[in-house]
Amino acid sequence: MARRIIHLTMLLLTLALLVHAQETKPQQPAQGANPPAPPKTHLKVGQTAPDFTLTDTTGKAVKLSDFKGQKNVVLAFYVLAFTGG
Amino acid sequence: MDSSPANRRFAEDIGVSFPLLSDWKRKVVKDYGLLDENTGYAARATFVVDKEGIIKNIEEGRTAIDPTGAYQACSVFDKKKPAP
Repeated sequence: MARRIIHLTMLLLTLALLVHAQETKPQQPAQGANPPAPPKTHLKVGQTAPDFTLTDTTGKAVKLSDFKGQKNVVLAFYVLAFTGG
Repeated sequence: MDSSPANRRFAEDIGVSFPLLSDWKRKVVKDYGLLDENTGYAARATFVVDKEGIIKNIEEGRTAIDPTGAYQACSVFDKKKPAP
């Protein structure tokens, strides 16, 4: 009888450990999960570039539409100064 | 996105011959659809705009770091010049 009680206790203990292990299993990220993609512009070739006014390094205001009829413009959005972009 | 003083120092360091503009309030990157609202940073992109204000070429992400695409887009303007 005592032997059966010991066996039953061990079985219950094993089950309890299994349940505990299942509950405490760390959540791992899904395999192949990628970081969120950077935003993509909604603008398309052929559309008018949105106008803006920004200041240059001397404090002078530069307006995109001021170049209209004068010059072609390359707008390079360079995210962080002193980095490789 | 950088301040004008930071851009000024950066422009001196790398010796640029074109204006470096500061979009400190992140309005322009938002208008151009480049702002990541979660991180507050903008994506890298290059737009070629003709004299009429029309977008002629867009390079985004890694391809925007390589100026080849924008350079080739600009070469189209040269071909449009009337023969002397």
